Amino acid sequence: MIAALKPFEAKSERITFLSMLAVLVVMLLLNTMVGEGSALHLPAYTLGNWGKYLCYAVLAMSLNMLWGYTGLLCLGQCLFFALGGYAFGMHLMLMTVDYGKVPEFMQFMGYHELPGYWYPFYNPFVAILAVMLVPGLVAFIFGFLAFRSRIKGVYFSILTQALTYAAAILFFRNETGFGGNNGFTNFKYLFGGDLRTIDATRWLFAASGILLLLVYWIIAWLLTTKFGKVQLAIRDSENRIRFSGYSTTHFKLFVFVLSAIVAGLAGALYVPQAGILNPSLMEPKIGLDIVVWVAVGGRGTKLGPIIGAVLVSALKSYTTSAYPDYWLIILGGLFVFVVLFMPDGIVGLTKKTWAKYRKKEVPA
Amino acid sequence: MNPLYRDTNLVLSAEGVHRSFDGFKAINDLNFYLSEGELRTVIGPNGAGKSTFMDIITGRTRPDEGTVKFHESDGHDIDLTKLPEYKVNRLGIARKFQTPSVYNQHSVFDNLLLSLNRPRGVMKGLFYKMTKDDREEIEEVLETIRLHDRRDELAGFLSHGQKQWLEIGMLLAQKPRVLLVDEPAAGMSDEETERTGELLLSLEGKHSVVVVEHDMEFVRQIARRITVLHQGHVLKEGSFDHVSNDPEVKEVYLGRQAHG
Amino acid sequence: MNLTDLCKRSLFWVLFILGLSGPLHAEETEARRILSKLILAHSEEQQAVTEELYDHGDQIIKEVIEGWRIGKVSVFDQDGNPIALLKRGEDSYEEISSGNSFLRGSESKINRASRKLRKKLRNVVDFLDLSSNDPRERIDAAMKLGLTQKPDYVEVLQERINRQKDSEVKEAFEVALNISLLKNSDSSQKLQAVKDLGESASFPARDFIEALRVEASESDDDGASDLEEACAVALEKIDSEQKRVEFYGSLLRGLSTGSVLLLVSYGLAITFGLMGVINMAHGEFIAIGGYTAYVVQGIFASTYGIGSSGYEWYFVLALPASFFVTAFFGILLERGVIQFLYNRPLESLLATWGISMIIQQVIRLKFGAANVAVSSPQWLFGSYEFYRVSMSYNRLFLIAFALFVIIATWLLLNKTSWGLHIRATMQNRRMASSLGIKSSRVNMMTFAYGSGLAGLAGAFLSQIGNVGPSMGQTYIVDSFMVVVVGGVGNLLGAALSSLGIGVIDQGLQPLLGPVMGKITVLFAIILFLQLRPGGLFPARTRSLDD
Repeated sequence: MIAALKPFEAKSERITFLSMLAVLVVMLLLNTMVGEGSALHLPAYTLGNWGKYLCYAVLAMSLNMLWGYTGLLCLGQCLFFALGGYAFGMHLMLMTVDYGKVPEFMQFMGYHELPGYWYPFYNPFVAILAVMLVPGLVAFIFGFLAFRSRIKGVYFSILTQALTYAAAILFFRNETGFGGNNGFTNFKYLFGGDLRTIDATRWLFAASGILLLLVYWIIAWLLTTKFGKVQLAIRDSENRIRFSGYSTTHFKLFVFVLSAIVAGLAGALYVPQAGILNPSLMEPKIGLDIVVWVAVGGRGTKLGPIIGAVLVSALKSYTTSAYPDYWLIILGGLFVFVVLFMPDGIVGLTKKTWAKYRKKEVPA
Repeated sequence: MNPLYRDTNLVLSAEGVHRSFDGFKAINDLNFYLSEGELRTVIGPNGAGKSTFMDIITGRTRPDEGTVKFHESDGHDIDLTKLPEYKVNRLGIARKFQTPSVYNQHSVFDNLLLSLNRPRGVMKGLFYKMTKDDREEIEEVLETIRLHDRRDELAGFLSHGQKQWLEIGMLLAQKPRVLLVDEPAAGMSDEETERTGELLLSLEGKHSVVVVEHDMEFVRQIARRITVLHQGHVLKEGSFDHVSNDPEVKEVYLGRQAHG
Repeated sequence: MNLTDLCKRSLFWVLFILGLSGPLHAEETEARRILSKLILAHSEEQQAVTEELYDHGDQIIKEVIEGWRIGKVSVFDQDGNPIALLKRGEDSYEEISSGNSFLRGSESKINRASRKLRKKLRNVVDFLDLSSNDPRERIDAAMKLGLTQKPDYVEVLQERINRQKDSEVKEAFEVALNISLLKNSDSSQKLQAVKDLGESASFPARDFIEALRVEASESDDDGASDLEEACAVALEKIDSEQKRVEFYGSLLRGLSTGSVLLLVSYGLAITFGLMGVINMAHGEFIAIGGYTAYVVQGIFASTYGIGSSGYEWYFVLALPASFFVTAFFGILLERGVIQFLYNRPLESLLATWGISMIIQQVIRLKFGAANVAVSSPQWLFGSYEFYRVSMSYNRLFLIAFALFVIIATWLLLNKTSWGLHIRATMQNRRMASSLGIKSSRVNMMTFAYGSGLAGLAGAFLSQIGNVGPSMGQTYIVDSFMVVVVGGVGNLLGAALSSLGIGVIDQGLQPLLGPVMGKITVLFAIILFLQLRPGGLFPARTRSLDD
């Protein structure tokens, strides 16, 4: 336990990490241990929603690795999330029919036989491997080309947006073979368990929580290493660090691939909880939604992306049911407000207020 | 055309270098030789090609023609025109930019730590542990650049002059054989400028140093051998007095500066 | 071109209204004169007079000749002056030369055409369209006859060729005749016909020549091999001509796609390229332009009524209206948000994205989520044929307008003091303002201009597709690509790259289909940036950390 807290040097950081763990455990307990009649009971529906929020939070953290710490604003983070989702979704779809049988959605598209590349996905562990490999590989190829030719700043943003846009129109085609605009849905089993039970909801919530804590830990650890220092240095002065003997291309590529893998894992956990997956998840506007989460929470902070993702998603889920016509206006307004008045997000604002209270200055 | 300065103990040599941008000849048949431990000052009017020349040595810009060689102490010659910046740097060529470039969000100490001449790959970065030697080296540099008492402050808080020094310190931490220093005195007070000059002079003999400078007072202070660039070409080379009394130099440089 | 059409049309209506009370149409008058002359002529002259009818295609010819055949034409002798009459009813006669009714018709003598003349007259009736007044109709009629390859028509076509004064029509007649001759002549004539068809590179003849070539290759008559060879040569000529036409056709489509892209991305090139502001709401400005056109159309429709000639002019007002309305929104955005975010491109990207969501939703609430249709004015319909390449008016108008925008922008930037201020501010904001340029004003106006161009693009897109709340989203990714490929801050680059991307896109679509074509273009752009990271015209800068 003590060793696990090693990346958290300051006492406050240790408290943050442990309280996140505590909140997740308490939520789970409020669902399992507290009876349904009790006011403290957390309904399964809410727990399921929070499971999705946790995946969003991980996705936001993966973007923060790029944007917050390395200065690379990726507008196509949703692509890696969706690719992870598709890789895992392939396994889930295979679980809806008997071995060797073609899943229903493929029958509609005229497949009579399962294409060869589907077979490895019968094994859930192969699927999990693919969840990491596919987004990682896409990120590697794209990142290699982009970083090698020194594409950065807004150009990088625009190209990543184009990438996810291209992927979306590709996946919307039925011929691509992943269900076109209907995508994957009606999942049934995972690891032999029925996904439609409350137990599955609890397990998936727990898995999402563990992924979140793990990613949080990895990011915290990275920041304590020299690697993490180089990351920040790239953000602050890429030329200086390059002329100090570091291949920024390699560092950026590493972070990009790592963040794609994290996003892919989040996507894989998201899909069975959402119960549906289609290419609209790859649309550029989703990529920008993730940016909103990070910006609202506070980019370049460890906790910011989590707060932003959960808060904005909860706000969305409330507003879309209460004031469906005004959700986009509220979100847009929030966005403009954050950019203009809270450039460092909620966490940054809190820190600044705290520092003012403590009469300490924070550098610009 | 000019009598070129040659030495058997060369560390850097550029021969017949050409580079043009959209037809504008930024560097035109440039020949330049730098000896081990030498302190060289490069001057020239705006657009003479000083920055482009620095870019070519450090791998930021590729020449259209010509060779730029780094002479290893074991006698090997390395072609710098084929290497990316970080590899040029790892050979022992460090560069300070015109505008001070430090990592604002890192402490002064970490700024130097990142500059240490250690393995700088991705994996090494993940599993690097600071040793006693590393710490001592950093302390040493902190002494040299007189930022010892500000070691834990974020570099973003330093004054302009202190940032310039920190950057020079970052160069020193790399233990380079060649330092390329672009306008180190820009934006400094007189006192700071003088101390910068002293710092540079103290490097003489230990490192080869190329200083690009505009401020003629400062040049006079540090000048040993001066190279005058004009239209991408070496116009004159020699001592401060020799160069500053040369009518041609006066015409292209001093004359022009007098006009504004 | 469109304007002249419009003038012609209105002139026609004026004449039509004036003409209602007047006598007969000029064309008909002339046909009646000849008919009358024909009936009254001596039998040896009648053959020659018949040919005069070849120049006319009026329906009266058919009526009179039919009547002549069945005995309804008669001649009345009025004091030695014979008058040709057509029996219209039981007791009603009409004077053929004037069309006026003739009271004493019952006193006339029935006139019949000679047997020799009858065959010729039948040709006149059967091939009335060949004599139509409209050259287009004449061409169609000739081609229709030629393509049947019936031997009977050879003579008819031959007779009429030399009467054609319009070279285009004459050529069509020759082609039709030659196609007919491919079947209905001896081998030397066939050879000549094949050569001629090859020379004129006639597309409809292609299949016939191909058939003839196959036939010739199977035959062992003398000269069959010559014929086969001639066919091959002609086919090659036709094919290369066809390729040329297809090439220019897709080039034109590409240019017009590129022009749309150019209108969309030029505004972006100005706000993004020159000002360093990433305006994600640019797509919504396009939508605002489109909806402005829609609103203007609505106003015209309720004022003048749909389909009236006043309504036709709505687009002329919709263009400036969408420009200024959008420019106004541009000013609001610049003053309200963007002015605080200069030199922070990523932040301006995020804030404008928020704005874009708001605008989209407001449009949805105001106009509904469904697309609205904006109809094109009549004068943008139709097409113009130039060396066989058909060019539709709205595409031509679009290309011309894109050119106009390029030139206007160039003049604005290079020939006005405002342009000088813009360029100075773009290059060095601080320096410009210390020289007394009100940079905040310059920024505002430049942003307004860039936004206005997006509005114009929206008005144009309303003519091509539907207007909807998210119409801009379709173009926003493409237009960012255009700016990046062109080289940021370079308007010429943006112009070239949008036209280039448009042409490549249209060139690839027939090969790969629209979706794969688009994906290929996107990846090609990403690869292109590998070779030239700065785009076509990279911005040169000396500062290191840009």
